[in-house]
Amino acid sequence: METDINPDSRFKPSDDVVVREVMGKILIVPLTSGIGDMEDEIYTLNESAKAIWDRLIKGENVRAVIDSLSAEFEADSGEIERDVTGLMKELVRRKILEEIINV
Amino acid sequence: MSEHQRPELIKKDELPLSGEALIELITAVHEKGASFKFRAKGFSMSPFVKCGDIITISPTKKSAVGRGDIVAFVHPESGKPIVHRVIRKESAAFRIRGDSLHIDDGLIPESAILGKVAKIERDGQKVYLGLGVERYIIAFFSERSQLRSLISGLSGLRRLVRSGFKKILP
Repeated sequence: METDINPDSRFKPSDDVVVREVMGKILIVPLTSGIGDMEDEIYTLNESAKAIWDRLIKGENVRAVIDSLSAEFEADSGEIERDVTGLMKELVRRKILEEIINV
Repeated sequence: MSEHQRPELIKKDELPLSGEALIELITAVHEKGASFKFRAKGFSMSPFVKCGDIITISPTKKSAVGRGDIVAFVHPESGKPIVHRVIRKESAAFRIRGDSLHIDDGLIPESAILGKVAKIERDGQKVYLGLGVERYIIAFFSERSQLRSLISGLSGLRRLVRSGFKKILP
């Protein structure tokens, strides 16, 4: 099922993952059945994905992330928006990121 | 301005982890109360843990670690993560040694223990030998540097029995 990403939303790492930055790389371990399984699932992010991740973790909403990346990278904002939302959909689908719900 | 590259989430197959990264991840996973599963390397725990076995390290209270337990710990000198067996407990430290080794890792402080091996899997099957009550016997012989000769003696005996059966059976 496709998840729509609201540009005003903010995200945080889900409670079901362990995320560590080791030697400049983000390492993500999903805790499947209460086990961090390095054999089956451990992820990292490439440089562009890390740039998105770092901004999200600082508390920027999706729109702010797209704006700041558009200013930094040589690509049209439409392409950056597609890339950012595409990555975020994947991270949400894999339960790595979850939306911060303000109550 | 930098050139834009497509953002990607990459699976670990392309990701060799250093000892430091492994320690960091085991600790972080244990802080959440979860176990950590990874593939063993090396032969120092042979035959009870073989190179390529999948081992699960569970978080444990240091007081629950005792003689015969297989533990993951950070070696105080090399800083590397190691999985070996406790052969003796000495107040707040452990004498630890690989099952196939003649020398131990020294006196390892409780604080260096990352967790206890709760499960060993080989070729998709759970391995029981080495984690049950027999662990006390293994530690006993290992401490006296007699484990290797005991294992090779038992292996020789097994070969002898097998060849004997082959001669008897049609």
